[in-house]
Amino acid sequence: MSWKLFELLVQASFYTVLISFISITIGLVIGTAVSAASLSPNRALSISGRTFVSFFRGVPLLVQLLLIYNLLPALGLNVPSVVAAITGLSLCTAAYQAENLRGGFQSVPRGLLEAADMAGLSAFQQFRRIKAPIALRLALPSLVNEAIMILKASSLVSVVGIVELTRMAQDLAASTYRPIELFSAAGLLYLIINWLIASGGSVFERSFRWGRP
Amino acid sequence: MTMPAISVKGLIKRFGDVEVLHGIDLDIPQGQVSCLIGPSGSGKSTLLRCMAFLEEASDGLIFINGEPLGYASGPQGKPVRLPAARIRAVRSQIGMVFQQFNLWPHMTALGNVSEALKTVHGVRKSEAEERAMVQLKKVGLAERAGHYPSQLSGGQQQRVAIARALALEPKIMLFDEPTSSLDPELTGEVLNVMRALAADGMTMVVVSHEIGFAAAVCQQIAFLDNGKLLMTGTPQQIFGKPRHPRLDQFLDTYLDRGAAMLV
Amino acid sequence: MNFDTNLILSIMPELARAFGVTMLTWVAGVIGAALLGFLVAVARRYGSRWLGYPLRLCVEVIRGTPFLIQLFLLYYGGPFIGLSLEPIPAGLLGLTVYGAAYFSEIFRAGFEAVPPGHVEAAECVGLNRRQIIQRILIPEMTMLVLPASVNMAIILLKETAVLSIITVPELTLVISAIGSQQYAFVESLFLLALFYWGLVELAGRLGRYMEARFSKYRFVTA
Repeated sequence: MSWKLFELLVQASFYTVLISFISITIGLVIGTAVSAASLSPNRALSISGRTFVSFFRGVPLLVQLLLIYNLLPALGLNVPSVVAAITGLSLCTAAYQAENLRGGFQSVPRGLLEAADMAGLSAFQQFRRIKAPIALRLALPSLVNEAIMILKASSLVSVVGIVELTRMAQDLAASTYRPIELFSAAGLLYLIINWLIASGGSVFERSFRWGRP
Repeated sequence: MTMPAISVKGLIKRFGDVEVLHGIDLDIPQGQVSCLIGPSGSGKSTLLRCMAFLEEASDGLIFINGEPLGYASGPQGKPVRLPAARIRAVRSQIGMVFQQFNLWPHMTALGNVSEALKTVHGVRKSEAEERAMVQLKKVGLAERAGHYPSQLSGGQQQRVAIARALALEPKIMLFDEPTSSLDPELTGEVLNVMRALAADGMTMVVVSHEIGFAAAVCQQIAFLDNGKLLMTGTPQQIFGKPRHPRLDQFLDTYLDRGAAMLV
Repeated sequence: MNFDTNLILSIMPELARAFGVTMLTWVAGVIGAALLGFLVAVARRYGSRWLGYPLRLCVEVIRGTPFLIQLFLLYYGGPFIGLSLEPIPAGLLGLTVYGAAYFSEIFRAGFEAVPPGHVEAAECVGLNRRQIIQRILIPEMTMLVLPASVNMAIILLKETAVLSIITVPELTLVISAIGSQQYAFVESLFLLALFYWGLVELAGRLGRYMEARFSKYRFVTA
């Protein structure tokens, strides 16, 4: 395989990283809202939060992507396919991140909040100073994991015509008749990106060690 | 006679259908150490948590230095909940030390002690840390100020927790089994800090299994059994003969357990 | 969407076949992946180092790359090395190997979570290595790995939809085809989504029921 082809794959992988990054960021925002909703004492809110999580975790991402890709135009929203792809990825990862964050919030020991209560911290101060940092720390490993999952899942947006890493490899394989080299090279690029995310994640986690060895 | 620091009147506490405190009347005198003792499940921790308003009483009233805590007597004798600001003001007179320390793991010892000064009382960071250092010195941990809870032993963590409560200058300190989750060799350092605090004249209420500490340091002992206050008195009155049969039984089990640990 | 009984009747056989393909690839894929994954976990724990390192590399590569890339490599690359497979066998093989990598990690964690004291106790009463695996490790592990295994089975159900991309005639492929022929693409996809959602919820419930049944075997951890 020539360098020229590999360069094309590397360029396409930037697109993969960009789409994944945008989706994870949007997903984190939606996921935080959804986790807050599912933990809310308001029944309607908590049921809608849980239904959101259950639906987007229960339906294959490919089906979600196809559905959104075709639903948006049917609703009169003529958006570029990359927007449909990012919408699909964001909603899916939001459901998983919501579940991770919910776990994080529920694992904050009650005693830490009682201590904050005794020290006079208001409900909002307790959330900001005690609950949120600890929940985020507890959810961090699964958030890094989720980032890797989404990077891999982003290969599915190739079916709605986005030329990211997988689609580029597919197109080049079809035109050069060298599927083994091209798909292996694409796989290697995915491995490298994932390895970078994992190492970045553990560096980030280490800065939240709070004195643990 | 001066006003009691804490006055508990007809306190009833239910969890669902289960009544765990059946009408407790108890006065905690100013400037003294009072111990709540009793078998596990007797309701002594629940009583203490009601005094901190971490549990809300199902009926009855609690007064802190004469002011109602959480609920005041209403027109038909039914307790009425007070506004949140009033609750906060009364509660700010109380400091609490927990069995599990409950130090915030993402803050250093200094951060734990200075946190409420900064976020609740709006004290400048440098001043808050100065005042926190004074408290850490008092519990003998000034040189550990920059350590995170995970880098401290259980005894040190509990001493930081005491400093955290003291930093807010409470009039009353509540201790919920402060040494129960410590290794035996670490209980001494915590009890010493508590002894020094008692010598300074702090009003303290201690739920403890340390009968030795209770006998030596407390001026008043209250013995709870099955959600009822069976007797209150000085250590001499409580531990001297003749004893209440339930107290005898409790002390027997306690001594057996002590003996079992020696074997 | 107007209901045309004749149309529904005419597509029924096709739908039934597609449903069969989805269920077959799922069930066979899960069983195959669990068995292969178990063998890999045992080989990595008890086999020689020269077996362990390459296996570990394979597991890491499979877990670090998208399933779709693996399928393309197998389906389009296979013929170049003499492995020409029809879509269904290719999909089944891909799903099995992909799932096996994840299952091997689940079992590995399961082996590690069995307290060493339980194995030492078995050694003390004279059980040999095979007996220890058979009588102590596997029963204890079953309980430990059940939740993660159910979760993995559910993930594999959802991955069967990806097989449509290499033209395995399962539900996603067949329903999309019917939907676009009948100009009811969004409606059919929505029904398809509801079908997967229902099946995933059902599998999740079954899993929790099994966990509850097995929970009496759970040992107390201090």
